[in-house]
Amino acid sequence: MRDFSYSRAGSLDEARQATLAPGALLLAGGTTLLDLAKCGVTEPETVIDITHLAGLDAITVDEEGIAIGALARMSAVADHPGVQAALPAVTQSLSLAASAQLRNMATIGGNLLQRTRCSYFRDPATFPACNKRNPGSGCSAIGGVTRNHAVLGTSEQCIASYPGDMAIALVAFDAVLDLGTRQVPVEDFFLSYADAPEEETVLKPGEMILAVKLRNSAAGMRSTYLKVRDRQSYEFAAASAAVGLEFEDDGRTVKDIRVALGGVASKPWRARAVEQALVGKPLEADTVAWAARLAMDGAVSYSDNLYKIELAPRVVTRAILTVGGLA
Amino acid sequence: MTIMEPRKHGSAADGFVGGRLSRFEGQMKVTGAATYALEYPVENLAHAVLVQSTIASGRVVSVDKAEAQAAPGVLLVLTPEDDLGLMTKSDWFGNRPDNEPYAPLPREISYNGETIAAVIAESREQAVEAIKLLRIAYDETPGVADLHDPKAGDGKVMDNLSVSWGDAEAALAASAVTIEAEYQTPREYHVAMEPHGLTAKWEGDQLTIWEPSQWTHAMALNYAEWFGLPPDNVRLISTFVGGGFGSKGAALAYGAVAASAARKLGRPVKLAVTRPQNFTSYGGRAATRQTIKLGATKDGVLQAIVHRGASETSVTTDYPEQTGAATPILYKVENYSSQSRVVPVNTVTPGALRGPGKNPSAFGIECAMDELANKLGMDPLELRLKNYADRDYQTGKPWSTRMLREALTQGAEAFGWSKRSHAPRSMREGRQLIGWGIGCGTFPVIQAPSAAMIRILANGRVEVVSGAIDMGQGTYTILAQTASEALGVPVDQIDVLLGDSRMPGSAIAGGSMLAGSITGAVHKTAAAARDELIGLALNAPNSPFRDTGANTLSVAGGRISVSSGNGPSMSLPELMTAIGQSELEVTRNTLPDDAQGATDQNAAWTSMKRVQGPTMGEFSMHSWCAHFAEVRVDEDFGTVRVSRMVSAFDCGRLYNPKMVESQWRGGIIMGIGQALFEEGMVDGRNGRTVNNNVGDYLVPTNADIPDLQVISVGVPDLNASALGGKGVGEVGIVGVAPAIANAVFHATGKRVRDLPLTLDKLI
Amino acid sequence: MTRTIHLSLDINGQSHALDVEPRVTLLDALREHLALTGTKKGCDQGQCGACTCHVDGQRVLSCLTLAAQVEGRQITTIEGIAAETGELHPVQAAFLEHDAFQCGYCTSGQIMSAVACIKEGHAGSDDEIREYMSGNLCRCGAYNSIVSAVREAAEAAR
Repeated sequence: MRDFSYSRAGSLDEARQATLAPGALLLAGGTTLLDLAKCGVTEPETVIDITHLAGLDAITVDEEGIAIGALARMSAVADHPGVQAALPAVTQSLSLAASAQLRNMATIGGNLLQRTRCSYFRDPATFPACNKRNPGSGCSAIGGVTRNHAVLGTSEQCIASYPGDMAIALVAFDAVLDLGTRQVPVEDFFLSYADAPEEETVLKPGEMILAVKLRNSAAGMRSTYLKVRDRQSYEFAAASAAVGLEFEDDGRTVKDIRVALGGVASKPWRARAVEQALVGKPLEADTVAWAARLAMDGAVSYSDNLYKIELAPRVVTRAILTVGGLA
Repeated sequence: MTIMEPRKHGSAADGFVGGRLSRFEGQMKVTGAATYALEYPVENLAHAVLVQSTIASGRVVSVDKAEAQAAPGVLLVLTPEDDLGLMTKSDWFGNRPDNEPYAPLPREISYNGETIAAVIAESREQAVEAIKLLRIAYDETPGVADLHDPKAGDGKVMDNLSVSWGDAEAALAASAVTIEAEYQTPREYHVAMEPHGLTAKWEGDQLTIWEPSQWTHAMALNYAEWFGLPPDNVRLISTFVGGGFGSKGAALAYGAVAASAARKLGRPVKLAVTRPQNFTSYGGRAATRQTIKLGATKDGVLQAIVHRGASETSVTTDYPEQTGAATPILYKVENYSSQSRVVPVNTVTPGALRGPGKNPSAFGIECAMDELANKLGMDPLELRLKNYADRDYQTGKPWSTRMLREALTQGAEAFGWSKRSHAPRSMREGRQLIGWGIGCGTFPVIQAPSAAMIRILANGRVEVVSGAIDMGQGTYTILAQTASEALGVPVDQIDVLLGDSRMPGSAIAGGSMLAGSITGAVHKTAAAARDELIGLALNAPNSPFRDTGANTLSVAGGRISVSSGNGPSMSLPELMTAIGQSELEVTRNTLPDDAQGATDQNAAWTSMKRVQGPTMGEFSMHSWCAHFAEVRVDEDFGTVRVSRMVSAFDCGRLYNPKMVESQWRGGIIMGIGQALFEEGMVDGRNGRTVNNNVGDYLVPTNADIPDLQVISVGVPDLNASALGGKGVGEVGIVGVAPAIANAVFHATGKRVRDLPLTLDKLI
Repeated sequence: MTRTIHLSLDINGQSHALDVEPRVTLLDALREHLALTGTKKGCDQGQCGACTCHVDGQRVLSCLTLAAQVEGRQITTIEGIAAETGELHPVQAAFLEHDAFQCGYCTSGQIMSAVACIKEGHAGSDDEIREYMSGNLCRCGAYNSIVSAVREAAEAAR
């Protein structure tokens, strides 16, 4: 880990100002920053600790919706009964992520900004070529071991997968990120790694995520997050789905449905084609299985990860049938 | 020596052998007071960090170290250009080439992740950062990434591993029912929770090494030979070992680097091998493939086994992972043929990992038996019982003890096997397909000598002293129990001192040979100490027993008394005071009388020269087990969860059932990891293990493990060891992966023959 | 140029002063600078849980925590949970009784995690214990006994 200077931000403005300096990084939970600094991927000159800033960890739940401060810990949000009632998918996405210790450390803002687990990205000493680390140098993953790599939103520039869980649920429910000077829908916040792999979000120097905002919805209340992986716990998703559902009054026709995928794409992946295919139709197993396959339109595999193209629609299907009471 | 009547397993409430005593050193471990190798306080430490190659094959042309050398805190940079002046050490069998230099930082690279340089600095953080400033130029040559690399070829036959009797090919051709299949296992890693590393400290030409070790004497000798020192000049201390599983039996290149750096700098050096570096600093289990052909009659009587196996090895050393190790002894078969190959690839030389050989071997034969049962339409339990081996068909020798039939039947009973619906894919709960499978396992009884010392102190405390180690098997505990029983002293009066090459030598803690060996040595030593104590009590001038006319005395509960009960009775301190004895020290070993010289003793504690295989005597001696697994496979996702397991073991007498059960479960859990997750992922382009961390090389978590029921069906086997135990540490893993693979077949109807059983193979 | 900073850390109720580089983790501060070696380094990458200790009563990974970050927080390590009389914490005693470890290297982290798991209210069933103890790898495979120990200690705490 490179030698760096450490300071604590005295105020929000100070923190934001600090990020304008080259080589300056904000430290919240530290679970990504220190991990990547140890790998040699991130080499900050200055680390500005923001965990002592007051008032950024509030979780507010009211009739309108939920607001989660960027410094709220994952565990605090996962254990919040109000979040559980309004958006079980968000609760589950957090509970199924990482480990209890990491959830006590990582903040919501930091969780959104976690970076890919691509083995090639994480090993600069062995694999200097990585467009994410060093634009224009190439992609070492292509032609290598790609079992955990993305099949959606990739290009010959980069096939890395976005690793997070919570963002999948946030994308499904149209969360908005409060960046202070502007409000950005979470779906627009993330950039696919396909075009410019080094740019992962629209966050600019001088900006900070302050809060995540979610509006209450019937689909949100009837939602779930399904995460499939080889190990029962403490593993990133092979494929995951955040799903929410609202029926018409007949109790079987789909009025509103939200579908987003994780573990398979270069960014939290909203599957609008699946949603559109199901709205207005009665919820039936065959229809759902057919519609779920639409999520894989345009998927590209580099052989080791071919299984994801088969697996992901099945995960979507099970998640929809579960919230629909058919599984 | 007197052998105590074996106690019934687990019934002893006292501290004697067979009792369920809690872990002797447990209090230190639960309070954080147990000190592991890298935790010894050593003044003025410098910190070394390794640099590993990033190519699989070629040579280091140059290392520009100027910038690194100038970095903050950097004290020394070692590269292939530095002649460290070391000589090659002996191999496992004590053979050593004359005058052959040894370069732990080689110029010629034979695998990706080979140690080629080291940076030593005031702090570890400084050393790590300075590594980025090294400019290493390679001349890369084409390599062979792994066993699957088309360039790997078929390798070479290991003639010493070819086994045959009868006429297997003819019997196979004549068999009414045959199966043939190929089974594969990937590279697997030890992943002991304590990473490798050491602290090396020189005082003149005396070298002290604090390093986790499965064999203190042998590793101390490794260092002595590298540095051309008399063996006594090296002291290796390994009081606690954070898991080994076969990886900590010999000194490794990084040790030579750290000790060299310490000598050059004139100050102690600590070297912590990072978790990723642990994946290539020593060899894990080699990848294997094997083809098995079975022939049987229509009613399931085995007629022939033909086995052809291959395992990868390094380009420098032929290390076979013996896929034919369990194949010949699990079943009765009159016609058998086996051949094994090694295939050189650019990897670190593979090593021993829990259940070496037997483990992948059992995966082959136990899956094949399941395939045969399925083809015959026969219950796999019935097929196994029908072909029960009444003797060792390879050597013709009788078994010493073999309670595998009891393991199968009692395990089946506890599991509820009779309720199995035999057709594949016939049991389910919702989308969960349920399957039940069996896998048998075995591991040989390997015998080796050990020495031990007993010290009875004036205050009545008794010290049991041995260079043997405890990496969690329970050595501290069972030695306290053994000494307590043989001496007649309560266990809480006993201290056990282990893990120091200055202490009496022992067998390696590997191959499940230590417990049987070291309990024998301690038992013998304790009995001798008791006899000496009694002799002193009867003969010492001031002893109150001198005039009792007794010709022997009894020692029990820490008191020495006249056996009849009529006469004095004294505690040990009282006696020691009365006779003016400050200490009584007795050392004994279990070497034969004609091998008591220093040369023989040193060879016994540092090489395999005195190690005896399972069939070297009149019997064939092995531990046995039968695993019964229930899996739930998600029909849509292909995820496999082990929901229930029952395992029955014949490991002879259990010295401490509590500790044995823990070891069995540990082996089973490692087997579950092997079955479901574990696989070194090698980049075919440069031979790099890309999942070289525990976030990507997955071992089981708590959530992956159901309650594991373990049953002992063993009986004391006094041919196997002095106190009647057979090995317990290795056998637990053997047969687990096939039990699970067979259960997955039963659940899904899909036969996966290459481990691990990941979801992509089942959707 | 190496910069060091002066820190005062509150560990197990005692104040410890040290001068370290800002990049030094809490784990290395404990093990290399303060001789508190009960906290273990198993991976140094946040993947194994061996380095688990408590910061303000919450279980965290000390390998991914800077020492500088926790100045002013209350840090508790395995050395700080037994009573001052030396009597073991109930979780420590349960681990010993149930043989919930073999080599002992993951044990400090397991126990610190277990103490927190019970306090959090995540020890309500065996399945819940398994899930909430899954951030602590044990290669010796003591998981069954760990679950038994946590269950017993949780029941006793109720």
